[in-house]
Amino acid sequence: MQAAQILINALVLGCLYACIAIGFSLVWGVLNVINLIHGSFIVLGAYLAFGLYNALHIPPWYAVIVAAPLFFVLGYLLQRLILNRVITAPVLVTLTLTFGLDLILNNAMIYVFKADYRKLTLTPSLGSASIFDVVVPVDRLIATAAALALTGLLYLLLRRSRIGRAIVAVRLDRDAAVLMGVNVPSIYAIAFGLGAALAGCAGVLMALIFPISPLTSSAYLGKAFVVCVLGGLGSVSGALAGGLLLALVEGVGSTFLGPSHATTLSFVLLIVFLVLRPQGLVGRKGFE
Amino acid sequence: MNQSWVARRVRRSVPLSAAVLALGAQLSAASAEDIIRFGAPLPITGALAPEAVKQQQGYDLWAEQANKAGGISVGGKKYKVQIVYTDYQSNTPRAVQATEQMISQDNVNFMFGAFGSGAAKAASTVSEKYKVPTLAATASSSQVYDQGYKYLFGTFTPNDTLTTPLTKIIKTKVPDVKKVAILARNDLFPLAIAQEMEKSAKAEGYEVVYSEKYSIGTLDHSAALSQIKSLAPQWIFVTGYTNDLLLVRKQMVDQQMKAPVVTMIAGPAYQEFIDALGPAAENVSSAAWWHPAEQYNGKDIFGTTANFVKLFKDKYNSEPDYGQASAALCGALFQIAIEKAGSLDRDKVRDELAKLDVVTFFGPVKFGANGQINSLDPPVFQIQGGKPVVLFPQAIQQGDLKIGVN
Repeated sequence: MQAAQILINALVLGCLYACIAIGFSLVWGVLNVINLIHGSFIVLGAYLAFGLYNALHIPPWYAVIVAAPLFFVLGYLLQRLILNRVITAPVLVTLTLTFGLDLILNNAMIYVFKADYRKLTLTPSLGSASIFDVVVPVDRLIATAAALALTGLLYLLLRRSRIGRAIVAVRLDRDAAVLMGVNVPSIYAIAFGLGAALAGCAGVLMALIFPISPLTSSAYLGKAFVVCVLGGLGSVSGALAGGLLLALVEGVGSTFLGPSHATTLSFVLLIVFLVLRPQGLVGRKGFE
Repeated sequence: MNQSWVARRVRRSVPLSAAVLALGAQLSAASAEDIIRFGAPLPITGALAPEAVKQQQGYDLWAEQANKAGGISVGGKKYKVQIVYTDYQSNTPRAVQATEQMISQDNVNFMFGAFGSGAAKAASTVSEKYKVPTLAATASSSQVYDQGYKYLFGTFTPNDTLTTPLTKIIKTKVPDVKKVAILARNDLFPLAIAQEMEKSAKAEGYEVVYSEKYSIGTLDHSAALSQIKSLAPQWIFVTGYTNDLLLVRKQMVDQQMKAPVVTMIAGPAYQEFIDALGPAAENVSSAAWWHPAEQYNGKDIFGTTANFVKLFKDKYNSEPDYGQASAALCGALFQIAIEKAGSLDRDKVRDELAKLDVVTFFGPVKFGANGQINSLDPPVFQIQGGKPVVLFPQAIQQGDLKIGVN
């Protein structure tokens, strides 16, 4: 029974990890920008959910509707006004820029919200569902369902819409996309906006489960990084596969080796992947 | 025409500005003589920022009170208090650098220790080298004080003074408890507390069925909790910082984990723990070095515990916890020692600190031969009805242990 519990925990957690990572993966894959603001966007989304629930009693699953357009606009403007100026520079330049922007946003959050930990506590509590002896918290189930829905929507957007196909085209071959009449700067901004929207929505959902503080942004960013490398860059299914693999390794590792080794194990896995399969589980070589 | 007018104005204003500057310099030179500077390296940014902010609030409250009263009296002359802060960004080697800089370049007279046992121990090597009396507000591990240092003093009792009374209370009040599970953050203070808990539990004949560490920054504890649940302990003991304990407690509720006794150190002492968890905080027991419910009548600048709590609430609009109180106490103790020494001579102040035997708003203060306080009975408490209720020591007891955490 404990094995079933570990498996269910990993499945649910894996979807949450995927949700954290998917926007990061999209931006990295399409713009070739390692977006270090991603963790702070997630935390900002969590504060939005916290504020909406406490001020207007809007539960986080509805707050997603507010967060998505808000963060899209934020991301779009950020890319157009700041990032776009260095988008063709070497990756270290964009890395430094997003690092600086993250410092500003993160310290602004510490200034405005203080460094104290807050928790969005739903009243009444949603409780947990149990099948035989396997227990799953309902808030995690809702967050998982929402994470899967967001993942599905992004997949459909990339595969079925004109903009999505343009994003994929830019990701595959920027120069060819330009020749085919794609407005690359605009696509970059849309992709970055989508990444930010996904981060904001992930934050809203994470607020249901984890405590909120500007200091948690690095933990989210770390998870996004590992999931992306495990799953493969710029791939929707890669984020999902990476998230599930990471959660499974952490869960099993924690049970058999003790919780302190779970993180070590996930980083060992990261190194193994970087050496043996740098394109990740789903990613294909040669896309960049 | 315009240019010459501007030039004239500038020429005329130069001597005036020079005079103003000279006067200012004289004034600042005069005031610099009447100031006692205290160095306070703190992790104001980074992972330990919440704790640093609390410690800073304690120092600031003391400095404000001391200055309001005219300053510290040294041989009949009043000196204002100034605290020099440096942010070491939650990075211990930087705490050591910051201490060196404060003593050798910022010319501080005395030092407050860095946050927590690890950084306080590391930075104390520098203050000891320069023979600067240092009061550590938040270092409890005995390894900090076992270095044979003369200039280091600390206001937290050793970690076992938290776990031993707790274990004795549980033994008496809940005899059904046989199995204990311990989960600790892999960090100096939480690990030390967990080790003391294991010792205390074994000394009382409990079976420790689970004793594991979790990494700093762990987001999900569900695997560890599932394992603990399968072992069915009657006492679950978790250590870490507020964020960890909020996560663990929330995930315990998620997994429908119940136990007669759940103890968490050191989150429940903080109001944000109770606010964030709501009903899930009920009946969680804990121990800390100080509690606002204590009723001491002290000889320090704050006087009674109630007065300290009131001043704190007036300034910060929140209830003080042990970290904030200990920081304020360190300032108050320096004040007592300096006034007794009647001098800013570091050795004289050091000797007065070593000789201290005084009741304060924090409790009786007396340092052992190693510099660590040895005169306090840290309170054990439990969250009941959304408030911490003191269970021990008997002199300030507010209620009885309630059994069952759901």
